[in-house]
Amino acid sequence: MPTEGINSPVTPTPPSGSFSGGEAARGTGETVVAVRNLTRKFGHFTAVDRLNFTIQRGEIIGFLGPNGAGKTTTIKMLTGLLRPSSGEVTILGFDLRREIRQIKKHIGYMSQKFSLYPLLTARENVEFFAGISGLPPARIKQVKQELATLIPPALLRLQVADLPPGIRQKVALFTCLLTDPEIIFLDEPTSGVDPELRRNFWSLIYGLKTRGKTLLVSTHNLDEAEYADRLLIIHQGKIILEGPPEELLQRTGASNMEELFKQAIISHETP
Amino acid sequence: MRLFYLFKKEILEVFRQKEMVAVLFIAPLLQTILLGYVVRTDIQNIPVEIVNLSSSPDAFRLVNRITHSPLFQVTGLHRRPLDYQEIFKKGQAKAVIVFRDEEMTTAPGRLKGASGLAGGKEGPASGNGESGAATLRPASLLPRPSVQILMDGADANSAMIATGYFYGVIKRYLEDLLADQGQQLPLQPQTLIRFNPSLNSIHYMGPGIVALLLTITTMFLTAIALVREKEQQTLDTLLISRLTPVEIFLGKTLPMALIGLVEMTLGIVVVLLLFRIHLRGSLGLLFIAALVFLFSILSVGFLISLISQTQQQALFFSWFTMVLFLMLSGLLTPVENIPSVFQWLVEINPLRYLVKIIREIFLKGNGLAYFWKDLVVMGVVGFVSFFLSLLNFRRSVVR
Repeated sequence: MPTEGINSPVTPTPPSGSFSGGEAARGTGETVVAVRNLTRKFGHFTAVDRLNFTIQRGEIIGFLGPNGAGKTTTIKMLTGLLRPSSGEVTILGFDLRREIRQIKKHIGYMSQKFSLYPLLTARENVEFFAGISGLPPARIKQVKQELATLIPPALLRLQVADLPPGIRQKVALFTCLLTDPEIIFLDEPTSGVDPELRRNFWSLIYGLKTRGKTLLVSTHNLDEAEYADRLLIIHQGKIILEGPPEELLQRTGASNMEELFKQAIISHETP
Repeated sequence: MRLFYLFKKEILEVFRQKEMVAVLFIAPLLQTILLGYVVRTDIQNIPVEIVNLSSSPDAFRLVNRITHSPLFQVTGLHRRPLDYQEIFKKGQAKAVIVFRDEEMTTAPGRLKGASGLAGGKEGPASGNGESGAATLRPASLLPRPSVQILMDGADANSAMIATGYFYGVIKRYLEDLLADQGQQLPLQPQTLIRFNPSLNSIHYMGPGIVALLLTITTMFLTAIALVREKEQQTLDTLLISRLTPVEIFLGKTLPMALIGLVEMTLGIVVVLLLFRIHLRGSLGLLFIAALVFLFSILSVGFLISLISQTQQQALFFSWFTMVLFLMLSGLLTPVENIPSVFQWLVEINPLRYLVKIIREIFLKGNGLAYFWKDLVVMGVVGFVSFFLSLLNFRRSVVR
């Protein structure tokens, strides 16, 4: 049931810091994504510079950084949408270069623009994505019914271009989960959405985590950082700080995320 | 099955854009009707100024014939000389016809048939009809009129055709003169015109325009189809899905092919009913040719879509390709006129083959035996573009 997580949190429960505490909550210890020296250059500009990190099964990774830090470039490389200039990526044991087809079966991706067809209705979008993912017709019918419980019936007939951003975001996440992926890459899923919807969205993400999904969520909103199990802070193409949010706060003595972030950037720019 | 959903989505997207539906189905119909009437190579109503300085009845009768011919539109009839240069500059007329009496000309030697300058005002004398069209009566007691045709050669093609019309009028007049005297020209050409005996250009243009119709919308639609997905970033989702490049190709091109076929059918209906052009060949063959053509043109469109990053680029590329295809298609000008340096471009132009095949099927009733080679070439062009697309697919979408 790939879609139940998106339905279940009816009441918006802003996740507290306690979510990110404890090893158990952080992951099972099984490495599902391993990135070694991942680099991407555009001409002379190095957008992503020798990234190294791993992701454990069941983790929520907060991929944090200012605009232009290389978040989207990294996610696009991890999903096979952009060719790395160098470096290696292994996802679920498959090599990204050679076994992208295998990888595709297990990953979900939602871009910051929500990637829906603006001229189609939410229902048509869902049907389309389910169809091209090879879901059987009976299942497609089922997911369309699930969608109807997710968004107000009046909006079902509207073209996506006319939907409010919060609904569009929900539909996009719903389509992203149609294939029940194990690892989900969300590229700035909360950009352009108001704070309350953002909190709602994070409770959806927690719902997914409880079902054993692994998520990498990029954002430039610092207030979202503490929702993650572990943070990867990226700046100018490099990872400048990595670790669980409260641990990072402790380690650096920063009083909040904003301060932590500023410190990290300053110490990176003045070695 | 995955293809079905791609197909459905593509069709839905086209029909969600109301302006697009109008552009796709109403515009082509109007276009066929308009172009059928407008793009004509036979010319009518040529604006003519006539200057008649001659006092002979022959000149008078010829003026009369020209005035009453539907081919000419006499804009002015003058009895004194005109500044024809000025007339052409103003575009007042395309031709000036001057009738003179030979002895009145200052340099009679320049005119043809200078042999008989003799004047005199007696009755019509017998002509032997062997002189050129410029002199009407070689030896006569009447003032011997000569006719001078001045053409505005800026539009060379029309000027040539119009000159031919004048010669025709004069020749017929001469023949009638001879016939009055129980004589005839010693050599009388017998022309037998097949397939389009009335030489009506609609019969030639109409079917050709159907080919054009099939090209414009399908190529442009395919060219922007993939680019639009790049722009709205939905292409990422297609690429992350399990769709193969071939499936994406088919999903993008098949709906356009269907739309193209519907448009072609509409075009054919117009050609058959409105232009009253008889379809001599097989309708089935026409559609087979259209399918082969669609494969090639849609592959080209898909290739354009791959190499373009924005819809503007795609439109520019398709427009450029379209004009090239059109100019080298033989639709408007015969391909034989194209210099041999560019003949290879003609050879790989799928539109050229479709125009040829459609005309052959419509006008000559030709079967496969006459144009199977053209089909093969179109198919090869299609396959080459198709494989180029597939080869470049990964590289151009995953940068």
